[in-house]
Amino acid sequence: MGTRFSVVLPGMDSFVGEALAEFADSHLRSQERLMSRFDSFSPISELNQRAGEEPITVPPALWKILALCHSHWQRTRGAFDITQWPLNQLWRENVQRSEVPSDESIQQTRRITGMEQLQFDDTARTLKFATEGMMLDLGGFGKGYALEPLARHFREQGVARAFFSFGESSVTVIGSHPHGSAWPVGIANMFHPETAVHTFQLRDASLSTSGTAPFNQTGGPQNFGHIISPRDGRPIEGYRTMSVAAPSAVDAEVLSTALLVTPEAERTEILAGYPGASAIEIVYHPYNQFTPSIQWRYET
Amino acid sequence: MKPDSPSIISQRTRRREFLKQVAAFVGSTALLAELPWWSSLRAAPVSDAPSNRVRIGLVGVGSRGNLHISHLLRTPGVEIAALCDDYEPHLNAGLARVKGAKGFSEFRKMLEMPNLDGVLIALPLNLHSQFTLDAMSAGKHVYCEKSLAYTIEQCQAVANAYRGSKKVFQVGHQRLYSPSYLHAYELVKKGAIGDIKQIRAYWHRNGNWRNPVPSPELEHRLNWRLYRAYSCGLMTELASHHMQVANWFLGEHPLSVVGYGSINYWKDGRELYDNVNVVYKYAGGVHVIFDSLISNRFYGMEVQMMGPKGTIESETGRMFSETPPPAPGIVQLINGIERGVFETIPIGGPSWVPDLKKNTKAAYFPQEPNHDDGTGLALAAFANAIRLNEPIPGMMEQACHSGVAVLMGQMAMEQGREVTWPEDFKI
Repeated sequence: MGTRFSVVLPGMDSFVGEALAEFADSHLRSQERLMSRFDSFSPISELNQRAGEEPITVPPALWKILALCHSHWQRTRGAFDITQWPLNQLWRENVQRSEVPSDESIQQTRRITGMEQLQFDDTARTLKFATEGMMLDLGGFGKGYALEPLARHFREQGVARAFFSFGESSVTVIGSHPHGSAWPVGIANMFHPETAVHTFQLRDASLSTSGTAPFNQTGGPQNFGHIISPRDGRPIEGYRTMSVAAPSAVDAEVLSTALLVTPEAERTEILAGYPGASAIEIVYHPYNQFTPSIQWRYET
Repeated sequence: MKPDSPSIISQRTRRREFLKQVAAFVGSTALLAELPWWSSLRAAPVSDAPSNRVRIGLVGVGSRGNLHISHLLRTPGVEIAALCDDYEPHLNAGLARVKGAKGFSEFRKMLEMPNLDGVLIALPLNLHSQFTLDAMSAGKHVYCEKSLAYTIEQCQAVANAYRGSKKVFQVGHQRLYSPSYLHAYELVKKGAIGDIKQIRAYWHRNGNWRNPVPSPELEHRLNWRLYRAYSCGLMTELASHHMQVANWFLGEHPLSVVGYGSINYWKDGRELYDNVNVVYKYAGGVHVIFDSLISNRFYGMEVQMMGPKGTIESETGRMFSETPPPAPGIVQLINGIERGVFETIPIGGPSWVPDLKKNTKAAYFPQEPNHDDGTGLALAAFANAIRLNEPIPGMMEQACHSGVAVLMGQMAMEQGREVTWPEDFKI
């Protein structure tokens, strides 16, 4: 999934730990093969290549994923949408040329996005795109979806404490830190990564952060936020992150992106459908040395 | 001698430039003490003046012999004075490539040629020791293709004949001169992968390993690698390189070997295995595994050196660390747990993405520009050593250790038993 995966198992016998790490490795690789858009032989790639023309049979494992994505799309009122990739691409290509896409090109691209255009046939287990040119991208979903069964397997194997990190943006914990009653996970200040803007106390829970940054991870400039709002086809403004803690890794990951593109007034209603979730939005102020402040928060 | 063609002159100019760089490198490296066979390459390439020329006679003008001709034609200060082969088509083709060389069908006649400095032997394995011994007793410097000899007794005979000699002896283990292997050796010595605990070496091809034969009575002569009277097949012709590398990196010879060999695909009348698996045991329980299959080439050729800190793939020139650097927040978390500290781990943020999507795990070694596998440098080292009149230290040991090891492997497979290193073997 184009990132690194870390797992910390405190007080674990290294022989057992190695076996669990090997399980994690093979589980994550198989999930990646299932969901990767970059692997031209993956089931997702087959849909992207052919579902615009005719209904394509979806393998059971992917069917389950798409059904879950559809349910989250409904629960987030369309804010979570796995068909947005063409919009991301449009903005990326324009920004690389130091341009902003025209209103017309945005409207055109929006015609090939939107999960309402996915035609599922529950009986035949097929999917057809209503419009040619549509693309599925599970980027904002896959990490959480891969983490959940992993944590379940570790629990079944008797692991009482564990810390999983998927590219640092998706964290899942089992039990608590060995020296405390929870795992204290901080949201790093993206300009001073050694300090935390806010700390979540996680216990058998997951945390996911989405956001926009003025630079990429290697310190190079990044000119636009990569989070595009499905409401208007435009990137969200400013440098901001949304972190969501939830009992489910999938819920946390879905919500971190969805809440970021949802107006504040509607966020609470979405969260009402996700019991146990809490969220923090952090904004970095460009005219004040990028000092972070908590813009919005939700706790149950 | 007729003048050389422009393309050979330009190739020679490039080779001269490369040898200049090598000379500067060899003169400056502290590794020379451990790699004495590089020593003669410290000499800067000589001019083309006749007085600088080392006169070499090549016996065996087959495919390997022709590759040597290509290298020698480019090597400054080398004259291919004679070619010898008892198979006339090969001899004539060679003479057509090398202007001015004298042709011989009999090796003894070539040895009688005046002013011949060195002999290069590129013959079937069963002939190596006799030709080497004859050349040595004629007072010639000798470069013999690997593997050293057809039997362990013959290996011993060559070692005995050479002991105390002031002449140059070299064996065709070009990886001794491969920059990729040199770099791998440097990394191993620096402890980059820890002590080597296991080496996995393989050489897989998919082909019948045959040369075209103009008429049936030439089958054994031209396809000698398939017949037991001439060769030990995959062991002497392929594994000998890997075993030389293993012995070199481990600094010792194997203690014993077990293995299986079969002919399970190319059932075309050949006598030598097309499928071999051998496991060598070294001191301290280090194992070297070699396998070779010529009906599947998917894994190709590699020597994987494995230590507790990492793996080196020396043929492709890559290193893989056992412990890639962890995420900073994760390091802090682990340190905190180990120190008994309960503190916030600042970790959550937009997703980390690697610098390069493709194969970020491997660090590639630098490669030399003209991609010589070491053969060119090995021949330059031979010519220089003759000119400097200094033997190449350590070379007979390399030749014997790998030469005996592969014969042990062949015996283990043929006799279905564990074969141990011949205790009385003396270099």
